[in-house]
Amino acid sequence: METALNAAFEVMTFGAVVVLVVLGLGIIAGMMGIFNFAHGEFVLLGAYTTYLVYSFGLPVWLGMLTAPLVVAAIGFALERLVIRHFYAAPVAAMLGTYALGLIIREGVRSLIGGLYISVPEAIAGSLTVGNVQLSRWRCAIIVITAMVTIATYLLLTRTSFGLRVRAALENPSLARASGISTDVLYAVIFTYGAALAGLAGALVVPMYSLFADLGIRFLIQGFIAIMLGGVGTFEGSVAGAAVVGALSAALPWAVAPVLADVLILVIAIVFVKLKPGGLMAERRK
Amino acid sequence: MRKQTKVSGIPSLMDRRRFLQSTAWMSGALATSISSWAIRPSWVHAAAPIKVGIATDLTGAIAYEGTANANVAKMVVKDINNAGGILGRPIELFIVDTASDESVAVANVRRLIQRDQVDVVLGGITSSMRNAIKHVIVTHGKRLYIYPEQYEGKECTPYIFCTGPTPAQQCDQFIPWLIKNGGKRFALPSANYVWPHVLNEYARKVIENNGGEVIFEEYYPLDQIEYGATVNKIMTNSVEVVFNTIIAPGVGPFFKQLYQAGFGKRGGRLACVFFDENAFNLNAPHEIEGLASCLDYFRAVTPEDPASARIQADYDEEYPGKILFAAGSAATGMYRGLKLWELAVKEAGNLERENVAAALDHAKIREGPGGPAEMVPGKRHCKMNMYIAVAKNGNFEIVARSEGLVDPREC
Amino acid sequence: MIPVFEIVLLVVFAAAPIILGDYLTVFVTRVFILALLALSFDLAWGYSGILSFGQALFFGAAGYGVALLARDLEIASIFMVLPAALVIGLISSFGFGALLLLGRNPPTKIFVALGTLSGSYVAERLARGWYYIGGQNGIPSIPPMTLGGYEFVEGRYYYYLAFSVLAIVYLACRFVVRSQFGLALAGAREHETRIAFFGYNTQELKLIVFSLAGGIAGLAGGLYAFHEGFVWPNILGVALSTQIVLSALLGGAGTLIGPVIGVMAIEIAGFWLADSFPKLWHIILGMLLLLVVVFSPTGLIGLVVSDRERVGSFGCPLPPRRHTDTGVDDGTT
Repeated sequence: METALNAAFEVMTFGAVVVLVVLGLGIIAGMMGIFNFAHGEFVLLGAYTTYLVYSFGLPVWLGMLTAPLVVAAIGFALERLVIRHFYAAPVAAMLGTYALGLIIREGVRSLIGGLYISVPEAIAGSLTVGNVQLSRWRCAIIVITAMVTIATYLLLTRTSFGLRVRAALENPSLARASGISTDVLYAVIFTYGAALAGLAGALVVPMYSLFADLGIRFLIQGFIAIMLGGVGTFEGSVAGAAVVGALSAALPWAVAPVLADVLILVIAIVFVKLKPGGLMAERRK
Repeated sequence: MRKQTKVSGIPSLMDRRRFLQSTAWMSGALATSISSWAIRPSWVHAAAPIKVGIATDLTGAIAYEGTANANVAKMVVKDINNAGGILGRPIELFIVDTASDESVAVANVRRLIQRDQVDVVLGGITSSMRNAIKHVIVTHGKRLYIYPEQYEGKECTPYIFCTGPTPAQQCDQFIPWLIKNGGKRFALPSANYVWPHVLNEYARKVIENNGGEVIFEEYYPLDQIEYGATVNKIMTNSVEVVFNTIIAPGVGPFFKQLYQAGFGKRGGRLACVFFDENAFNLNAPHEIEGLASCLDYFRAVTPEDPASARIQADYDEEYPGKILFAAGSAATGMYRGLKLWELAVKEAGNLERENVAAALDHAKIREGPGGPAEMVPGKRHCKMNMYIAVAKNGNFEIVARSEGLVDPREC
Repeated sequence: MIPVFEIVLLVVFAAAPIILGDYLTVFVTRVFILALLALSFDLAWGYSGILSFGQALFFGAAGYGVALLARDLEIASIFMVLPAALVIGLISSFGFGALLLLGRNPPTKIFVALGTLSGSYVAERLARGWYYIGGQNGIPSIPPMTLGGYEFVEGRYYYYLAFSVLAIVYLACRFVVRSQFGLALAGAREHETRIAFFGYNTQELKLIVFSLAGGIAGLAGGLYAFHEGFVWPNILGVALSTQIVLSALLGGAGTLIGPVIGVMAIEIAGFWLADSFPKLWHIILGMLLLLVVVFSPTGLIGLVVSDRERVGSFGCPLPPRRHTDTGVDDGTT
């Protein structure tokens, strides 16, 4: 039973992490049709900011609070300067954000000197449940992710801002014709997506250490999650992310880790072939 | 390309080569503010310099090990030049970045050989890097290659000399110590590439010969950072010694998850043969308290060996900062390799590959990090002292020493 | 304008080894091989609208395939390995393409892009984990390719070999895009449904082109394996795939010569930058790429060649005059 509990806990934690990362990516992809190849590097920036604050002697939780804000600011700046050129051209967006990601990643690499740096958790220690030790920090991640996801959902469905966002998502030209400034909305959404990524980075860095290639692995999982969940809906992104995260965490318990990657991809491709809209296809009109 | 357009039109081969060399030197001088690529002593024009090439990972995933290498090389060459060079000739050092990327490495090493015309190449850290560049150096380039890092052994290609520890040196005394100071139930979690596979093969034999038992041996992708399943297996199977060969980026998270599961608290022993002072960045001290490692040098050796103390002090003075002089980062092997090669060239009297190789084959140095070192004739591997150390509060403490130089038992 | 470029480059490359030293000849040979890979991408994207982020998958598969042939079966004859590389590329891309491209509904560009990207990623991870093919270390010490008794080592002869292969494949591609088949492809790229109504099976067309592109990528992989003397998981992976996409687009997609120029430009820039700015050159390269993507979406060749002659773009809205009612403008005048 110990094993089952450990496995379930790990599945939940990793699933939560992927959901947090993909939320931002999915919102941006759904809203603007842009696959932000730099999203993984936003995660990296969140992790780096946390480390930076900590290295100045300040408490880690302060770093984790500032990380989303800093990354949001960077995201906003990038959106205004660079990303806005790409709205009409998804392919250019992919390449441009890839180049951006390259710059950010190599920049961070030269800043941290190619090292792997450990950052402590904000809440240390473990909970003892029966025979099993569950890391308190991982529990915190699950709770925080749940809160953020619910908050985002409420924002999108219960506020007038959310209404405007969904309108722009469904039909940008009609939204514009109705007086909604898609320009402003895009900027806000991109910034929000970046902030989410920054938060994800801050939360995971105690678990995985800070290193320059931290973002890349989340990027690919993010893309598979979006492919699976369907582009364009919030629920789709969350569902896709949960499935991919859960599978990534669960499969290595059953099969060799290398096979796990292949299986996830095959499952994703086959699924999308059968149901091109993704997991949440029926919900969309 | 800038250089290319200037080249066409220059008739003689010798002129062009000298021209390319001087442009290389100019760009090297320009780049010196960022990092020295070609380092010339001030008295270079007095005699034809001997050219030494270093190929190491200055950028990329193992940048911190590579930089330590490069620093050591610069330090040793400076010392040799200050003492008058070799055979009255100064050493000119060429450093290229293998960038933790094998195809970049091959291109850059080609440059070292074909453009810079170095007489010997030292470097490569991972085995895949060594495998990628060795033919460029030894077969096509017909030069000597000295490989300074601890590795899995079985590199018996002629003209390749290895100055880092081998599995025999790292396991023969270490594993019995682990059984006495940890337990008989071993787990072998490993990264999936050649070094862990071959090392584990050897380690398993030693474990079983000493009455131990391997509970499981598993291989994980290099970028795996979630080890819940592994940790669970270790805890539920009452494993007493974790003989780890997972490397960065996975090793930090793995050790942390192991600590959180209570492995250390219930008396489990962590063992990791590549863990040196540079690796302390990877985890908080309490997570790796009690970790045992077996290498040819630790900083804690300096009180007992004046030569080691001097080398360590020199390095710390010239290169203060986060990149430490440590044995797992090939820094000690680099020092040894350069000094042994210096001796070999002095004995051979010239730079012909055959002569230097023959002299290097039996070269011995009396002073080096960790103590003296001797090449085993005919085997192209190096005997050295080995030390077992345990991590206490972020520092290593020596707990056992080899009785004299240990035979690498290779080839 | 494009034929002028082609002829100039042909002459320059044919004569180059005489001027360049050994070291640079080897460098340019490697550039040729990568240019071949970029050419395969252009065939898929520039002419057929298949955004393949996974060309390295076929490149690497063939590279590994011939490396295994050489290592385990000791086959290194040029008459066996190069066709083998081509066939491996063809089969793997046909298989993967069938999975991605066929089906009830035509796949979206994004799906193809992400699918090929993920395929490349997974292939790399598989190779890293598979010890028989070397795992992380790959397969080193591949024996040289042989022609009768002669061994092709890096240098002048390999240069001309790679150059000839590039030239032949290039001409073959030119032929294909100007044929009826090529016209149909261009039509499918511009307006898929319209071409479907003409009776063409667009999915099959795309699959054929994707397979051809995969075959070319495989051929390049075979050349690469014997030139470098080793293969390793990165040649299957996302980094190489994306680098090729970037190089091709940097040079100018849809022109065949554009990707060749693009690869050359990036390799030379990387070479020079790495020399002068060892720690920062990735960042500088990234910035250059970004500038090109933002300011010149038609790539370097767009700077000198008019729009009519180039057909592939990043998908930025094309100027109105291109969508005329008199038919498809695909540059094949």
